[in-house]
Parts: sequence; structure tokens; C-alpha cells
Amino acid sequence: MNEIGGTPLFFLEFGDIVVYFTPFTLTLFLLALVFTVFVLISRPERQIDIAFGADAFYAKVISLPELRFRRFMSIACGLACMGAMVTGDVFDFTLLVSLVGICNVGIVAAVKSRHVQNAAYQYGLVALAGTVPLFSAAAMVAATTGTLSMIELAKDAVAIPLAARALLVLGVMGEGMAPFYAAKAEMFRAPGAPYVIMCSLSSLLIFLRVAEVILLL
Amino acid sequence: MIAELLFAVFFGLLLLGIHRKVIARIQRRPGPPVWQEILHMLKFSFKTTWIPKTASAALFVGVVLVAIGIWSAALFVVISGGSLLVIFAIYMLHKIVEHGFGLSSGSPYGKFGGVRSVISAASEIPLLVSVAAIAIFTHSLLISDIVSYQEVHGPLLITIPLAAIAMYVVLISKMPFGPFSIVESKELVSGYKTEHFGVWRAGLEVCNGLKTYVLLLTFILVFIGSLPFWLTLLTMLILVITLSFVCALSPMLSPYDSVTVQTLLAGLMLVYVGVLGVMS
Repeated sequence: MNEIGGTPLFFLEFGDIVVYFTPFTLTLFLLALVFTVFVLISRPERQIDIAFGADAFYAKVISLPELRFRRFMSIACGLACMGAMVTGDVFDFTLLVSLVGICNVGIVAAVKSRHVQNAAYQYGLVALAGTVPLFSAAAMVAATTGTLSMIELAKDAVAIPLAARALLVLGVMGEGMAPFYAAKAEMFRAPGAPYVIMCSLSSLLIFLRVAEVILLL
Repeated sequence: MIAELLFAVFFGLLLLGIHRKVIARIQRRPGPPVWQEILHMLKFSFKTTWIPKTASAALFVGVVLVAIGIWSAALFVVISGGSLLVIFAIYMLHKIVEHGFGLSSGSPYGKFGGVRSVISAASEIPLLVSVAAIAIFTHSLLISDIVSYQEVHGPLLITIPLAAIAMYVVLISKMPFGPFSIVESKELVSGYKTEHFGVWRAGLEVCNGLKTYVLLLTFILVFIGSLPFWLTLLTMLILVITLSFVCALSPMLSPYDSVTVQTLLAGLMLVYVGVLGVMS
């Protein structure tokens, strides 16, 4: 197997689906795990903001139902992210990435702010559209090579169409490339640090993993 | 490994102190002593420590440990000749750490520092370009393989100078008082680290020392190759002095200008690596 992310440390086989850990995927997996634990154990912060037109400030407090829903979505996002980091199957990767996108929308759509909900709606549309190239890429890989295993696909004898790689990257960009998606900047201002951070973390993690997958294929 | 870790922290902080001193001398100020950053770290270790009432306590503390953890891991990867992709990942994840620092306190200054960190994500692209250009030439991303390649073919600094410039831009983005240091600019007090005081700030200083050492060492190993230890340290010093000149002679850009310039640079670098890919 190509050692782009370092020498593989461990393979875990579930039938024909293989989960593998390299120093690279292990680093990403651990980061996703650590921040999921933070989501589990931390209470959200109370953001202090200026009250315009008065010499005063106020604290934004998250209600309990909102907290519970966002925490649930953040944990789901963390779990999907962990799966996407270590899977050795292209279809599982696309499935988990699309789940990350859905959870990200959920995390921010629960915020009771018009601006944040607008951003969540726009991002939701992009994430929805992103699933088309994402799953098309997996379908194209399966149709042209007869396998979805990254370990098999990494062998030199297997030729992956350039279009499949491009569609995979496009799909991931749609699902969660948060730092490059200006509308999500509104989301980053929303209260609830552990949950908001899970949004940006998951986006960065799936971007990093797709870079490895593309180099591997 | 513990000895190397401690050395990296102290030498990294010393380099940051020299960085401040050189900037000050260029601007005709006396500047602080070169060991000022080490003193900061030691001072904060023994100062009163608290967690703000508005903070998300676990995240406020945890993110400091994550910051130290990821850069310690990065040092281990560089020393053991591991994958450059892991360094790239850690560099990108440092953004999440800055974001976490900023948001966890509830302070508006920290929050805007964190938001600025996320919106300036284009600063990561030049590193990706460097990684891609190196992969095209060496057919490996293991630092040990890249060093071996350079022993046979000569330094990559000469073979792919634009990729080296791309990584130099990455170093500029991470140096304090530089044109892209919008995350901790003075209108935000100290930006994302405003509310982290006492031992938490000492932890952040440790992380800064490690980060500086790891990034400079990576640059040297990847673009110049393996050097004797003393020469590696000397090259780091020279690199820091050149970075100090850049930082001292260029104004800090506004957030939108910073993002625009970084995005333009990233676009240029992507075109360059595209051309390299086609030519190879």
C-alpha cells in the first residue's frame, strides 16, 4: 500500500470493508475523538456582546432544548468524522462525509438568530448539491474499477478516471469546506463554542482526508 | 524525546525573542531582551490562574492541552522522518486550536480573533502546494525519503524554488507582528489569546515555541536537507532574521486585505503546481 500518510499501523477488517490507521489517519481520528469528548463534557460559553445605543453589554445564553439538540448533532458529527478519517472504502467515505455535512447544518440551524439561520439555509443547499458529485464519484470508481476498496485502488495497476477524483473533491468542498465558504463565517460567530468548533473541525478534517485519498488513488 | 521537546520549546522561544529584538532594532527601538519570551513563559507559569465565569470551562482548558499535544506530535513526526502530510494536517488543525482559544472564553475580543483565524484559511494553501510540488519530484511524502532524495539530487530549494517561497509565506503567516497576524492584532487586545492568562498562557507560549521550532526545522529538512546540528540551528536563526525583516518592513494588513492577498498567493501557487504537474 502507498505510504502517503506514513507506514500503516493497524488494519481492522469488517468483511470486505477495511478500516486502517496510519500516523496521518490516526492523528485525524484522535483529534475528532478529543473534540467529541469536549462536546460531551463541556457546557457552552456565554458570549458577551455590546448593546448598541447604550453603555451596556449582555450575555447570549443558549436554552436547554437548543443545547441538547446541538450537542446531539455535534456528537453525531464527531462520530461521522471519526469514521470518515479511518475508513478504507470510498463509498463509506462519501457516505460519512455527507453525514458530516448534514450534521453541520443541524448544529447551526438550531441557533435562534436570523443571520445564522440564513447562513445555515444557504450552506444546506450547497451541502445538498454536494452529494451529487460526491456519490457520482463513488459510482464512477465502482463502475470503472469494480472495487471501492482504497487498498485495492492504491495499486498501480488500477486506473482511476480523473473525473472521479475531481468529482470527489468537488463533493467534499460542497459538504464541508467551511473555511472557504463565506456564509459559514456567520456560523462561527454563533454562541456555543464546542458545537461551532465541531463544524470547522469536521470541515478541515474531511478536507485533509480527501487530500490523502486523492493522493492515494 | 523529553530532552528534545524541552530544547525545542526553549530554542523556539529564544528565536521568537530574537524576532522581537530584530524588529525593534530595525524600527530604532531598544526592544526587549532576546530571552523575553522564555521569561514570559516562566512568569505566566507562576501567575494567578483563573477560568472566566462566561467560559466553556472544559474547552477553555482542554484546548491548551490540545495545542501542546499536536505540536509535540509534530516534533516527533519531523524528528522520526514521518509523513509531511501529518505536518500539513497539524498545521491546519492549529487553526481549530486558535478558533477554540477564541470562542471558548465568551469574550468578544477572543471571538473575533477566532473568527479571523478561520476566515484566513487561505494561508494553508501554499503549504499544500509545497507538499504537492515535493510529491511530484520525490514521489514520497516521508521526510526521511525527501532528505535522502536531496542527498542524491541536491537541495529542493534550488530544484523548486517557488515551492520553497510558498512555504516561506506559510512561515510569515505564522510569525507574530507579520503582515498576516490579524488574529492577534492590537485592536483585539491580544486576539484569540486575550482571556487565557496564568498557566494557560504559559501553555500557549510553550505551543508557540514548539510551533516555531517545528516549522523552521521542517523547512530546512524539506528544502535544504539534513545538516549538522549546529548548522541547522544557525540556519534557523538566519531564517528567523529574514522573517523579522519582512515583518518589520511590512504593515499589518486589514483582515479583508490579508485574506485577499493570501488567496491571491494561494491561487498563484496552485497554478504553479498545476504547471509542474503537467510538465512532469
